[in-house]
Amino acid sequence: MDELDSYINKVKKLPPMPPMVPQLMTLLNDPDVDSEKVVKLITYDPSLTANVLQACNSALFSGSAPADDVGEAIMRIGFQQVYRMVVLVSSSRMLKPSQTGYGIDEGELWKHSVATAVAAQTLAKELGDNESTAFTAALLHDIGKIILSQALEHIYKKLVEETEAQQAALVETEKRLLGVTHAEVGGRLLTRWKFPPNLVTAVTFHHEPGSAPEHQRVAACVYLGNLIAYSLGHGYGHLAFAQRGRADALDLLGVNGDDIPRLMIRAQENFAAVQSLLQL
Amino acid sequence: MPLPSLAGLTQKSVVGIADLAVSTNPNVELATYSLGSCLGVSLYDPVSKVGGLLHIMLPDSSIDPVKAALQPAMFADTGLPAMLHAAHKLKADKKRVQICVAGGAQILDTSGIFNIGRKNYESLACVLQQHGLSVQAEHVGGLVSRSMYLNIATGEVRLKISGQPNERILWTS
Repeated sequence: MDELDSYINKVKKLPPMPPMVPQLMTLLNDPDVDSEKVVKLITYDPSLTANVLQACNSALFSGSAPADDVGEAIMRIGFQQVYRMVVLVSSSRMLKPSQTGYGIDEGELWKHSVATAVAAQTLAKELGDNESTAFTAALLHDIGKIILSQALEHIYKKLVEETEAQQAALVETEKRLLGVTHAEVGGRLLTRWKFPPNLVTAVTFHHEPGSAPEHQRVAACVYLGNLIAYSLGHGYGHLAFAQRGRADALDLLGVNGDDIPRLMIRAQENFAAVQSLLQL
Repeated sequence: MPLPSLAGLTQKSVVGIADLAVSTNPNVELATYSLGSCLGVSLYDPVSKVGGLLHIMLPDSSIDPVKAALQPAMFADTGLPAMLHAAHKLKADKKRVQICVAGGAQILDTSGIFNIGRKNYESLACVLQQHGLSVQAEHVGGLVSRSMYLNIATGEVRLKISGQPNERILWTS
């Protein structure tokens, strides 16, 4: 057991990620996916099913009759969208609470995570990458903060002061003070939850996609989605902008700096739609 | 039964991203939240007591003229003229208006690629100059995100910096 595991093990009440989310992700990558298999997997958890159905019905056009079951929802809004609802519903319990070690108020991490997910999905769509992978990785990119928040509670002031004084990125100060970063811890947590390697890598390297040994594109998508979310004001905490610009992330995606404003407009439009759906 | 008096109560009116509002109602406080690389621009005429608040998202409308026509407040070059026009209709005089600016945060970027905050500020400075306007007070750049408030009765501009407990006064009319 190494340092990453020891931080994860210290957290007493970590709400579990339903094991069917990574299983669904695997199914999602199968072009000949059997929708009955998907329905069976989702409906295994009745309370989750109810919440997912409610979210799917909010996403349907107003005035149309609600879908009565998951199978019907898949038929009407598509498997990918139902899947994204499942991920949102499953992770909201984890991401909504405050994280005092980072100075994050209740709901802020959730809003930032959703904004990043929508921005990364917008990028993936524009660039022809897998939208649901980018969405999931971006939604969970800061999950490690839930683990490290506890360890940082007593040294939050120091974290902020050191970051400011040295004009360092927050992850760099984390590494110096704790020996690990939220990105690394998040990646380890997702490994334990049996998420596929591309997702684990994207989360682990979301601040330095160029250093990822593989799956650099999805990591770069999360990186840029994260920056867009912050730029649009969907960030949190003091020194929210204490992160490094990585020109190589844009190169990886084949995106030009001049494209960013246009991508920000698209991301903001898409986020506004999700915002009303989730009442953020 | 007499209605309870509402005198002295201030109603908060929220200006969303890429939006603007103007008001003469002394019971109103205009507020805009979560300015990341975006810029908040407040305007106040202390004589006619007209106030306005603008939340600019991007520097230049030429990237999307259709959007600019629908939502001029999104861009610095169309947003400021739109707010001036709306304030003028409420009898604000351009010669008297006080302008404050907040936001435009920047990440640590030596490549200069992620410089929306700085570009927003440069574009706004240029448009202000074209209109012969100067900035009374500003709190821009850096690593923090901000929220901005304008009290229509007094013209006072306040700031809340994300992650810091207390608000601070940026400008008192």
